[in-house]
Parts: sequence; C-alpha cells; structure tokens
Amino acid sequence: MSAEYSCLVVEDSPMMRQLLVLALSRVKSLRVTEADDGVDGLRKLAGGKFDIILTDINMPIMDGLKLVKRVRTDPMHKNTPIIVITTEGSSEDRKRALELGANAYITKPIQAPQVIAKVKELLKIDT
Amino acid sequence: MVDKKGRRRSDRPPVDLAGDLKAKRAEFVHTFFKRGAEFTEELVAENERLRGRLAALETENTKLRTQLAKDSAVRELLGKIGQLERERERLLGEVHEAEETTNRFTNRFSEIETELENFANLYVASYQLHSTLKLPVVLRHLRELLLQLVGARALAFFVVDESKRKLVAVASDGVERSALAPITVHDAAPSGSGAAAIIERVFLTGIARVLGDDVARATLDSPAACVPMRVDDEIVGVIVIYTLLPQKKSFAAVDHELFKLLGAHAAVALTGALLYQRAGNARPSLDSLHDVGT
Repeated sequence: MSAEYSCLVVEDSPMMRQLLVLALSRVKSLRVTEADDGVDGLRKLAGGKFDIILTDINMPIMDGLKLVKRVRTDPMHKNTPIIVITTEGSSEDRKRALELGANAYITKPIQAPQVIAKVKELLKIDT
Repeated sequence: MVDKKGRRRSDRPPVDLAGDLKAKRAEFVHTFFKRGAEFTEELVAENERLRGRLAALETENTKLRTQLAKDSAVRELLGKIGQLERERERLLGEVHEAEETTNRFTNRFSEIETELENFANLYVASYQLHSTLKLPVVLRHLRELLLQLVGARALAFFVVDESKRKLVAVASDGVERSALAPITVHDAAPSGSGAAAIIERVFLTGIARVLGDDVARATLDSPAACVPMRVDDEIVGVIVIYTLLPQKKSFAAVDHELFKLLGAHAAVALTGALLYQRAGNARPSLDSLHDVGT
C-alpha cells in the first residue's frame, strides 16, 4: 500500500535523525525523507510537496528557526504543519518558533510515542 | 220456636245480620288491602335494598376484578424485571470480562511499545557507536547517546593514561572539561565518597556504580552513574553521568542495558577511532585484510 502522507525530518545529528525515523516508521501511512540541516531541508522541500515537517532548532548552516521562517513564505508549504524539536532549556527558541509559524514543539530527550502522537494529531490520522 | 232461654223467636229483639256481615266484610277487606299495601311497601323497600346491595356487590366485584388484573400485571412486571435484572447481571459480567481482556491487551500493547522503543534505542546506540572511525564524531555520538537516550545533563568520559596512572577526562558535556582534574589511580580501591574516589573505585573494581531512586540528589561530587569501559577484559576508562535532566526521576531497565552496551562498546569505538586517527585516517589495505584471513 502506498504512503498517504510524506514527512520531512530535518536534523543534523545522525543519531537523533535515526531515532526520529525509527519512531515515525511505525506510522504506517507515512513516508519519511531525511535532511541534514536547514539548507538540505529547503532543497528537499523544493523537490516535492510534504505533508508535515519535523525540524531541530540548533543546526549548522541554517538553523530550524530560519527554516520555519522560509517554509512559511513557500507557497507550496506555507500551511504545512511544522514540529520543532528543542532542548529543555530553550523556552525562548520554542516561543520564537511558534511565533514564526511552527505548529507544535517536542522537547529532547524525545519519546517515540510522543513524536508519533504529535504527528498523528497534526495530520489528523486516527489512532 | 223457642230458643235456649225459652224465649220465642218472636220475643227476641230484631237483629241486622246483613249489615253486620257487610261491616265485617268491609273491615276484612280494609284490613286485607291495608296489609297488602303494607306488604307491597315492604316488598318494594326490600327490593330497593336488594338492588342497592346488588349494585354495591357489583361495584365491589368490579373493583376486585380490576385489583386482580392489576396484581396479575404487577406479578408479570415483577417477573419481567427479575428477568431483565438477570440479563443485566449477565451483560455486566460480559462487559467486565471484556474490560479485563481489553485492559490485558492494552497493558501488553503498552509493554510491547516500551520494549520496541527500548530495542530501537539500543539499536541506534549500537549502530551509531560503530558507524564512524572519526574520533570527534565517536565522542559526539557518545555524548548524544547519554544526553538523548539516558537524559544526562552533565557527563564526562575518563580514559586511563597508563604511563601516568591517571584517569583523564577526554570529553564532557554540561560540565567544563577543564574543571575535571585527572584522577590518580592507586593500587587499591579507595574508600572515599567524593567523585574522584568513586570513579577510581569503579575503574579498579570494574563494577558500575549507579544510583537508585535518589538520582535527583546526584551532584558533581556524587555522580548518578559511573560505568567502566572495557576493551575485551581490560578496563580502559569510566563513563561518568554526574546529573540528569529534572524529568528523569530514576534509571529505567533500558538505561542499565544501555550502560552494559556502552561499557562493552564505547571503549572499542574510542580505541578504534584513536588508532584510525594515529594512522592518519588511513584505512587498512587489502593485503592486511588478506593477512588477517590467513
């Protein structure tokens, strides 16, 4: 059965990215694409339509905040749900990301059930 | 003619027999009709009384019939209620049974979800540890594993410098590496309670020291966990988790499994990366691999 939804995971840490991809692979109707940083993320976004974006905040080259800002000016993805991944102490980043147009945030250390629930909630996938 | 008194009929006073009889007859008829009228009145009264009584009995009969019908309906309803109560009990029993089954499945599902997540974490840890030979990347992966998977807030990796018999911090997070003085390794395990003594003891004994439910009390002087790092049977360093994130109240079973994995694999990954770095990032030649094969 082909995937119904496509998801872009933007995370510079290979370990975090692998954890996120493993967690999201349990959502059967989701196809996951990985990006190393904000620039790579924009490149992938330019290549096709995504239904949801998960992005880390702290990344080299282009951080998550800049990525959120750019995505919201992209006609194809201006309404695409964005989940930002932050560390516990970065409440300012969370606030700023939400102001820029992110829809939700997840705090590290990430828990797979929390990630799955948030993605399903934003994509309105029945559990 | 002579009567009994010797008098002649002609001597006696004249008697009005016809009138007398007439009077008597009239009186009799009067009495007869009077009695008849009285009797008729009595009969009419009795008839009225009996009619009233009949009406009362009929009313009572109707009431009794109604009551009987009601009692029958009530009995029927009570019977129905009893039947419904029994049905309700049966259905409640089935619902409880179904709830218990659902709870069992929910709990099992939750357990499997947790196990799946734990396996995923261990898989990622193992995968990432051996996914590179670059020393900075290995150290970064080690730090991330402890920060992300265990929930460490401050940590350090001590590696033994055999020539100087010292444990030296080669990487840290949440605490300045410069603040972590080298720890001299003595011949016997110390009995002190400070961080240096604990780390040295773990290094010398090879026994991990992990706090139980009191991880919230962990400090830089009393680490939450110290795990020996081994290459084969030799202990070459100690992973130290000083403090944890506030939401991490205690170590879970998977944390202990991760400590075992890191204890066995971290030093191997570090050693491999160090050797690779010393070799100028040169990968082994095909010839050397052939030599290993023979």
